[in-house]
Amino acid sequence: MMNIFQQIHEALQYAFIQRAMIAGCFMALGCSFLGVFLVLRRFSLIGDGLAHVSFATVALALLLHAQPMVISIPIVALASFAILKLNEKAAVYGDAAIGLVSSLGIALGVIIASTAGGFNVDLFSYLFGNILSVTGFEVWMTVVISLSVAFVTGLLYHDLFAITFDEEYAQVSGIKVRLINRILILLTSFIVVLGIKIVGTLLVSSLIILPAIAALQVVRSFKATIALAGVFAIASVIIGIFASYVLNLPSGATIVMVNFLFFVIAFSINRIKG
Amino acid sequence: MNIIEIKNLSVKYRNVKALGGVSLQVKAGDYVGVVGPNGSGKTTLVKAILGLLPFEGRITFQGMSFSQFRMDRHVGYLPQKMAVQDMRFPATAKEIVASGVYCCKKFPIRLDAHDYTAAEEAMRSLGIINLKDRPIGKLSGGQQQRVLLARTLVHSPEILILDEPTVALDPQSREAFYKTVEILNKEKKVTVLLVTHDVVSVGKYASKLLYLDREVIFYGTFESFCKSAQMSDYFGPGQHVICHRH
Amino acid sequence: MKRIASKIFVIFCLSALVVASGDTSARDASTAKKLEVITTLFPTYDFARQVGKDKVNVTLLLPPGIEAHTFEPKPSDIVKINKADIFIYTGKYMEPWVENMIKGVSNNRLLVVDASSGIELMAGGDHDEEGENRNEEDAHGHHHEGIDPHIWLDPVNVEIMTSTIEKAFVQKDPANSLFYAKNAEEYNAKLADLDNRFKAAFAGCKHKTIISGGHFTFGYFTKRYGLEHASPYEGFSPNAEPTPKALAQLIDKLKTSGMKYIYYEELLDPKVARTIASETGARLELLHGAHNVSKDELARGVTYIDIMEDNLKKLKTGLECK
Repeated sequence: MMNIFQQIHEALQYAFIQRAMIAGCFMALGCSFLGVFLVLRRFSLIGDGLAHVSFATVALALLLHAQPMVISIPIVALASFAILKLNEKAAVYGDAAIGLVSSLGIALGVIIASTAGGFNVDLFSYLFGNILSVTGFEVWMTVVISLSVAFVTGLLYHDLFAITFDEEYAQVSGIKVRLINRILILLTSFIVVLGIKIVGTLLVSSLIILPAIAALQVVRSFKATIALAGVFAIASVIIGIFASYVLNLPSGATIVMVNFLFFVIAFSINRIKG
Repeated sequence: MNIIEIKNLSVKYRNVKALGGVSLQVKAGDYVGVVGPNGSGKTTLVKAILGLLPFEGRITFQGMSFSQFRMDRHVGYLPQKMAVQDMRFPATAKEIVASGVYCCKKFPIRLDAHDYTAAEEAMRSLGIINLKDRPIGKLSGGQQQRVLLARTLVHSPEILILDEPTVALDPQSREAFYKTVEILNKEKKVTVLLVTHDVVSVGKYASKLLYLDREVIFYGTFESFCKSAQMSDYFGPGQHVICHRH
Repeated sequence: MKRIASKIFVIFCLSALVVASGDTSARDASTAKKLEVITTLFPTYDFARQVGKDKVNVTLLLPPGIEAHTFEPKPSDIVKINKADIFIYTGKYMEPWVENMIKGVSNNRLLVVDASSGIELMAGGDHDEEGENRNEEDAHGHHHEGIDPHIWLDPVNVEIMTSTIEKAFVQKDPANSLFYAKNAEEYNAKLADLDNRFKAAFAGCKHKTIISGGHFTFGYFTKRYGLEHASPYEGFSPNAEPTPKALAQLIDKLKTSGMKYIYYEELLDPKVARTIASETGARLELLHGAHNVSKDELARGVTYIDIMEDNLKKLKTGLECK
């Protein structure tokens, strides 16, 4: 037991672990807050979906010798709007809309990569980040994005609640449904694009989905659900990083496993309660 | 005094006329039963009134637009249960009832203690105050329906629009529900528009009947409905059933 | 995910393959025409160029900038291979996809060359301080999963590869056998010289361990020159992630060794190396594994020897050799 605490203390001596902790926790906060709304609206796989679109945008950026982020962010934002439009106008279910846009992204990326005749660097290594390689600047970015997400979801809490529970009723109530949806999806695309670059797709996608699902097992109030999702997410990052250090495992995957563990616990408690 | 005036309303849905040439007035305090066969445009009429879909013609609320009337005088809407979100949604009864105040708040929406008190009042009036902190998914069908009804009452609406509210309820709950609506209509003078298949109950409680089949087949008091030979031809023995209860 | 991307494209073009694979007209290896050679990796591409010079037409299957370990051929690649005289791959551990693909080749005049033949393979995996290999051959000499495929980073191995390639050229184009033999001999002489310079350089170095933030590619190289190699990865899959403890240990190792440089590998974003560098104040230096080159490098005509010469310079600096 003592040994574990010693190791944790040891881990915290390293700057890269400290940065991983901070960036991870802020990413967890932002992703899990949005995650509750996205999961309830059947947009769970948007993290993965937009990651595939990012792939195409990075290929395009390298082809045009441009900065990947400059190309990625606007195109991914547009793709997220396309997903919304499909959902609204073509009555395509959220997950199918994501699938459509996502497949298109991969296909375009592969075609661009093929016709480019090669690059000067390997696309993937530049696209996908890793929580253990977070730079100081990236830590600041996660703080900024997450606090922005928290601020906006706080501001729009009731609007988002109304739309998520009953979109039609929200409209009757005079809530600007289309605008709020666009804001939600735009925020999501920002946090996904930046998140993928900073901590990688696996973490971003799982931090959106898993804490929300675990929180949904413990059915109480909506406020409690969001708060709990945040708690699960942050706890899984902290425990995950320490566990990965002590057990010598890759951190991202360990965080996901801890997240899953929280889900199992929540599910079991729910079951036992009856 | 006319609280709702509809002039030449028609709604096209993918080049099919869902509703055509509807003109009618609803007086304050009316309890209108809206009936008709499937696909007759009952829900379409409701959605047009609520501004949920595009239409031709005019709908005014004592001269005001829907959004104006909603903000100042308040409209309650109980959607068809099937259309509503999955009832396992993670929210307490109180949170859902409180969302009834969203109609009348400026952006960004902020709720204060006053709003929550109003929510509790609405729940109390329907006898469900004990359920306030219960997640809606854990309530029975009848309780859920009353939560949604409470949502519409938080702001004491002058108009209450209900779309097939008793479809998923057992007979006991159904009776209780209708009694509640009756009290609102008689004591609080709420104008009620109730869309339903339950012709029998309509006959029992409503003061006016609106029979739709893509257009207005009949609109008027039950007296005139029951006396009409034309309606007798149209409905046959069905007319007798409605009128008998009334 | 890259596999998914490649697979989607493969499925999409499968129809093209069905049409194109009907073509069985193999090129006549007449003396007037150049030998059509296809290689799977940059080093063999370069060696083939050096041996064949203007009498061969060498094509590199791997597009520039693409990571070698996850490459999978497109249908058009398979068509190209079908139409060639010689197909050179780097061994079944580097390109496991070749074995199955070869079965589907309809051109029986195609000469398939395993460039690793005759080379003593070694097990892969990281060497820790005691020099222990984590993956070991068992008593029967069967190799376990972790076989190091990076044979080309030992210049002495390359001499063998050059001879293998020369033999293949001679087999397909006996008329020019003297030409090929001369080129191979000249090239091997350059390689032997390179080998000697490496030996000399590493004779007196302050440090003996190459610390890199990338994958463990220089196994054969470090074995040849009596060096050690430390990296945070186990195995060669570029999709693998380093564990925090491995990173921490590497950071400590760098600090205690007093080395001022950490190496990163070619074409990949040097995230891990940067993290280690920022924690130790070390500077980043490229150690090119020669799997593949960038688009610009290919255009400039960079060669294997160029790359190794550059590596020599970088290592002398980092290991602080005389």
